Amino acid sequence: MGYRVGIDVGGTFTDLIAVTPAGEVVLDKTPTTPEDQSIGVMRGLEQLAGRFGLDLTALCRDLEVVVHGTTVADNTMIEMNGAPTGLLVTKGHRDEIEMRRVHKEQIWDPTYPPPPPIARRRARIPIPERLNFEGRVLVPLDEEAVRAGVRRLRALGVRSIAVMFLFSFVNPAHERRAAELIREEFPDVDHVSLSHEVMPRGPEFERTSTTLVNAYVAPRIAGYVEALQRKLREAGYAGPLLIMQSTGGVMHPEYVSRRAVSLLASGPTGGVMGAALVAGRSGVTDFVAMDMGGTSFDTCLVRRGRPEITTDWNWRYRYYIGLPMVDVQSIGAGGGSIARVRQGTLLVGPDSAGARPGPACYGRGGTLPTVTDADAILGYLPSDGFAGGRMTLDLDAARRALAAEIADPLGLDVVEAAWGIERIVNASMADATRRVLASHGADPRDLALIAYGGNGGVHAWAIAAELGARRVLVPRTAPAFSALGVLVADHLLDLIRSYVVPLSHVELDEVNARLSDLEEEATKELRSSGVPEDDVERERFLQMCYPGQNFDMSVRIAGPLDAGGLLDLAGSFHALHEADRGFSFPNQEPIVRGVRLVARGRVPTPDHFAELGDARDAAAARVGTREVAFGDGFVLADVFDGPRLAAGAHLEGPALVQEPFTVVVVPPGATLHLEPTGTYRLELP
Amino acid sequence: MTSVDLVRLARSRGRLVEHPSVDRVTAEVIRGAMETICFEMATYVSRTATTPILNQSNERNATVLDATGRLAALSVGIPQFMLTSTLPVRFALDFLGPEEFREGDVFVANDPYHGGGHLPDYNVFAPVFADDPETPGRRRMVLIASIQCHHGDTGGAVPGGYNVTATDVWGEGVRWPVVKVVDRGEPRRDVLYALAANNRLPTYIGDLRAQVGAAQLGVRRLGEVLDRYGARTVEEAVDHMIDYAGRRFREEVASWPDGVYEADTWVDHDPLGHPDIHLHVKITVAGDQLTIDYTGTDERPEIQAWSTFGNTRGYTVGQIATMMDPEIPKNEGFFDQIRLIVPEGCVLNPRPGKPVSAGTHHPGAEVGEVIALAMQHVLGDRAVPQTYKTGIPTIIVGVDPRTGRPFTDHSAEVYAGWCNAAKGMDAWGAQNASFGNLWKATAEINESLYPHIQWERDYRTDSGGPGRWRGLCGSHYEKEVLVDAKVYTYVVGMKYPMPGICGGRPGAPNELVIRYGSDDPYRVTHTADWVPIAAGQRIMYDYGGGGGWGDPLERDPQAVLDDVLDEYVSVEGARRDYGVVLTGSLEDLTLAVDAQATAALRARLRAERA
Repeated sequence: MGYRVGIDVGGTFTDLIAVTPAGEVVLDKTPTTPEDQSIGVMRGLEQLAGRFGLDLTALCRDLEVVVHGTTVADNTMIEMNGAPTGLLVTKGHRDEIEMRRVHKEQIWDPTYPPPPPIARRRARIPIPERLNFEGRVLVPLDEEAVRAGVRRLRALGVRSIAVMFLFSFVNPAHERRAAELIREEFPDVDHVSLSHEVMPRGPEFERTSTTLVNAYVAPRIAGYVEALQRKLREAGYAGPLLIMQSTGGVMHPEYVSRRAVSLLASGPTGGVMGAALVAGRSGVTDFVAMDMGGTSFDTCLVRRGRPEITTDWNWRYRYYIGLPMVDVQSIGAGGGSIARVRQGTLLVGPDSAGARPGPACYGRGGTLPTVTDADAILGYLPSDGFAGGRMTLDLDAARRALAAEIADPLGLDVVEAAWGIERIVNASMADATRRVLASHGADPRDLALIAYGGNGGVHAWAIAAELGARRVLVPRTAPAFSALGVLVADHLLDLIRSYVVPLSHVELDEVNARLSDLEEEATKELRSSGVPEDDVERERFLQMCYPGQNFDMSVRIAGPLDAGGLLDLAGSFHALHEADRGFSFPNQEPIVRGVRLVARGRVPTPDHFAELGDARDAAAARVGTREVAFGDGFVLADVFDGPRLAAGAHLEGPALVQEPFTVVVVPPGATLHLEPTGTYRLELP
Repeated sequence: MTSVDLVRLARSRGRLVEHPSVDRVTAEVIRGAMETICFEMATYVSRTATTPILNQSNERNATVLDATGRLAALSVGIPQFMLTSTLPVRFALDFLGPEEFREGDVFVANDPYHGGGHLPDYNVFAPVFADDPETPGRRRMVLIASIQCHHGDTGGAVPGGYNVTATDVWGEGVRWPVVKVVDRGEPRRDVLYALAANNRLPTYIGDLRAQVGAAQLGVRRLGEVLDRYGARTVEEAVDHMIDYAGRRFREEVASWPDGVYEADTWVDHDPLGHPDIHLHVKITVAGDQLTIDYTGTDERPEIQAWSTFGNTRGYTVGQIATMMDPEIPKNEGFFDQIRLIVPEGCVLNPRPGKPVSAGTHHPGAEVGEVIALAMQHVLGDRAVPQTYKTGIPTIIVGVDPRTGRPFTDHSAEVYAGWCNAAKGMDAWGAQNASFGNLWKATAEINESLYPHIQWERDYRTDSGGPGRWRGLCGSHYEKEVLVDAKVYTYVVGMKYPMPGICGGRPGAPNELVIRYGSDDPYRVTHTADWVPIAAGQRIMYDYGGGGGWGDPLERDPQAVLDDVLDEYVSVEGARRDYGVVLTGSLEDLTLAVDAQATAALRARLRAERA
C-alpha cells in the first residue's frame, strides 16, 4: 500500500487530499496555475511530500494512485481556444448547430449575441448520404464529396474534424467509412470525432453540438494529460493517472482524450461523489449536496445514495452536451459574490470579487462589498486565524464597503445591510436548490443537506431553514472536499446504444447483441484503467418511454433477458413512471429507445475522512465567545476549535466551530455532533 | 350570444395596499420564491405531459396572479402566453364572483372572447388561500396559480386546432369560458369527461391533468410562502413588485423622445384571400406616458382573421418589453402603464363570434411589427420587430402504415425564418429572440414519429434582408411524404415579408409549394385546404428571411466577404445588395474585397438612389 492522492483543480486553489499508507487523511491547498494546471498539480504534490518529510521523488515512488479533476476542458470552452474544427454533415442539415432548435437563452433581448462558433458555416461541409430512421440506406455515401470536403477543411486550416450523419447511431457504416477517408486524405489530422461514438443517440442537433464540442476540446485535453503524465513519470511515478468525468466516475487518460467532452462540468461532480460516500457513512442516503465556494454555488440531488444523472437538456458554455452528467445546478453565489444596489433593489452576484482583489475584508484592495464581508460583520468569521491562520480580516474595510454601497443608498445601518445580503444570497441558493429538486419531483423537507466548499458550513444553517430541511452534514474536509471526492470516485462508464421499437417488436437478439457490444467495450476500457475484468460491476438497463414522450427512463434488467423478462420490464416501467412522475398508463405499450450499460470498478475508500482531536467534551475545545447576529440582533456565541474536537463531541447553538479553512455556524436552538468519520451533524430546531 | 367587455376586463385593478411597508429585501425574497414556483409548475408539466408539444417544444407557461387578477410573477416561457394569462382569470373572478373560488378549486378556460388567445390555448388556474389577518379564524384567497399550455386539438371541424376557414369561432372548436374541474379538492368527473369528449386526442385529458397537477403544486408551494410571511406581507410584496416594474417602465418611456409616431403595415391576405389587411398605429410619447392607438386599422367585416383584444394587448406588451431593459420584471406594472386604444370592430378587437385561429398569429404578430416600424426612427437601437410570418403550421394528415392509425403532423420542426437584425447585431439562430424558449423538433425525432423524410432544411443564400447588420437567412425546406396525405395550411409573408429597419432591406418572402418537383405542383396563394399529396412527393417551403438593420451600403466590406465565404450571401448578392466587389473565387478560397471597385460601386448606387 502506498499513498493515494486526489487532486482537484479549482478556479483559485488546487486542492489535494492524501490518504497515507497508515490510513491518515491529509488536506492541502496550493494556488491554481491557470496557464498550465499541471504546474500547480506538481507543486501541490511537492508540498504534500514536504508534509510527510519526503521529497517529490520519494513521494512519487510511494504513490499508489493519482486521481485528478481538471478544468482544462471547461477553460477551453470559456476561452473558446480549442482546435480549429470542421464538420462533415448530411446534406440538408448543415445549419442545425446554428439554428439550435430555435433556442436562445434570452427571450427579451434582440441584441443578445450568438455563441462563439466552433465551426463556422464555411467549415461545415454538406455530404450527400442519407439513412432512414431504421438505418436503411436511402442515399449511398458520396465518397468523392467526403474527400473533397476534407481537402477543403484542410485548406481552411482545420485540425480536428467532427462527422455527423443522420441516424448514424442506428447504422454507423457511413460515419466509419468517412473516418477512413479522412485518414487517407489528411493523415496528420489531430483528431476525428464520429457522432455515433461520442453520443450514440438522437436527435441530430444534440448530437451535432456534443460531437463538435468533443472535437474542439479533445486535442487540448490530449496535450494536457500527456504533459501531466510525462511530468509524473519524470518525478518517478509509475502508476495510473485517473481523470474525473462529469458522470461522477474516473477513467484513464487515453479514454478521456478521445471523449474529452465527458470532462466538461466535471468540477462539481467530485464533491457530489464525496458527499455520497460521506453521507452514506453517516447513514444518510437521500440528500442535497451543496458546494459553496468563492464564486459559485453548486447543488445536486442524491437519492438512494446515488446522484441524479441527467441525460437531457445539459447546456454548458452555450453548447448542448448530450452525455449523462451528474445533474448539478450552478449559480453565481459564493463568498466573493458582490452585493450592489441597482434601481433601488439589493442584488447579490453573480459576479465575484474572486481571490484578487477579493472581499473588502481581505485587505487586498477590494472596495466592493461581498457575501464574505457580510459574514464577517455578522460575526460568523474569525477576525484572525482565517484561511489556515494565514490571514487577518479587516472588519472596518468590510463596514466601509457595506456602508458606501448598500447601507447608505438603502437608508439602512450596516448590520441591517449585511443581514439583507445574507437573506438575498441564502434565498437565491435555496431557490436554485428548489429548481434542481423540481426537475426530479423531490421535496426538500424530506432531505438532509451536505454542505461543503469554503463557505458551505457558514451558510448551510440558513439555506436549510429556507428549504425546511432539519439535518445538515458538514464534513471536516469541506474546504477541499472535491479532492476527496475524486479520490473515492469509482471507475465508471455509462454507455447507451440506440434501439427504437415498440416493446412488442423488440427482438431479444438485437438487445442482447447491443448489450454484449457495450459490455465488451466497457471491459476493454476498464481494463485500461486498471480494473480486472472480474471486478467490473455491470448494471444493464432498457431505456423506455410512452409514445410521444421525449424523456427516457432507465429500467433495470435484473436477470437474463427472455420473452417473459420483457413483460416484466413493461411492468417495472409503469411502476417507475408512477413513482417518479405520479402517473402511468398501464394499458399503453412502452417504446424502447435503447439499451444502457453502467459499468463500474470499485475503489477502496478510507474508513474516516479527517483526523480528529481528543476533546470528547466540547467544552475542552472552547476557545472563547463572539457576538453573532442571526437576524434578530447580536447574541453571544461560544467559539470552538474544530481540530481539537473528538468523535462524539456534542455542542449547542449559538456556537461557531472554527476549522483551518472554514467555519461551521450553529444557530440558537440547534445542536452539533461530531461523528467518528469526521463529519459534523447539525440538527436544526 | 354572450358578450364580455374585454377592454373593461383589462382595466387597471388598482392596488392591494395603499402604502406598502414591506422591506425591500423581503419583497425581493418573495419575488424570487414566486418565480421559482412558476418554474416548478412549468417543469411539472414538462415532466408529466405526454405530448411532444408540451414536453418537447416547451409550449407552456406558468404565472402567479393576485386575488384581483393582476400578474405578479411568471416563469420565462412563451411571451404571448404569459401576457394573455390574466384576462381569463379576471373573467372567472367577475362572472363567478370571488365567493365561487374555494380552497381546493381548479378552473379551466380557453375562450378567446373571455380573455384567451385562441381555442387550443388552455389556461388552468387555482386559488391560493391563507389565514385572514383581519379576521382571525377565517381564510381568504390571496393569490392565484395559473398554467397555460397549447394543446394539439380543441375539437371543431378540423383536427389540429386551426380551422382557419371557419366562418365563426364556434366552427373553430369547443369554447370553455370557464369550468371548474376540481371542486374543493374533488375532481369533477362530469366536467372532465365533457372536456375529454370534446377533443380528438386521446392524450389531451392526460395533458390537462398535468396542468391541473401543476396548478395544485403551485397552490401548495405558494401556501408555504403565505404561511411563512403572512397574507399581508405577501400582498405588500406583490404591490411592491408591480410598483417597481411600473416605475422602471415609466423611466424607460421618459428616456424616449416625446412625440407622435405613426406607421402602417399589412398582412398579405386572410385565409379566404381577402387582400391587404391593414394595420395602423399611432404611438404618443409624452413624458413618461405611453399611448398606443390602433385607430385606422382594417374594419372590413368580411375578413376572416381577427386578433382578440387580449391577444392584441399581449403582442403590444411583448414588443414594448423587448424595447426596454430586459431585467425589468414582467408583471402587471407593464400593463398598467400603457394606455391602449383598440376600436371595437377593427381586426385587432373583433366583435364576439369572429373566427380567430388564423388571426391570433396574423394580424396578431403584425402588432409588434407596426410598433417597431413606428418607433424605428427615434429608438433605432431597440425597435426590432420580435415577430414572424408563420401563417399557421403546415398540417399533414394521413394514415401511418406502421400503426394503421391516422396521424396529424404539425410540422413543428426546426426551420429558420423571419429573424430581424438589430443595431450592432446580425440576426442569428432560427427565430427572433422572443421565441427563445420554444424548442422545435428535429428530423431524427419527427421521422421516427411520422412517415416522412426531411431532405433539406438549411439556410438559403441571399434570403436575409441586407443591411448594415444583416437579417437572418430564411431556410429552404423539403419534406417527402411517404404515404398519400393531405395538407392544410395558411401562408402569409409572400407579398409583405419581414420589413427592414432604419434603412435595412426586407427579408426574402415565403413560398410554399405542395407536390414540389412533380408535374402538378401546387403553389399556395393563401390557404391549402386539404391539398392531396401522393406518397413520394415533396413539400417545399422557402421560409422568408429577416429584415436588415441600417443601410447595406454601410456594411463593413470584410463582414460581407465573411458572409460570402459562409454562403449566407452570394458573390452576386454582395455586389447587388451591398455594393461590395469581390475578386478571386469562393471555390479556391481566394476571395478578397476590391476596395477601389467597392468604393466606386457604392458611390454609384448611392447616387442612383438619390
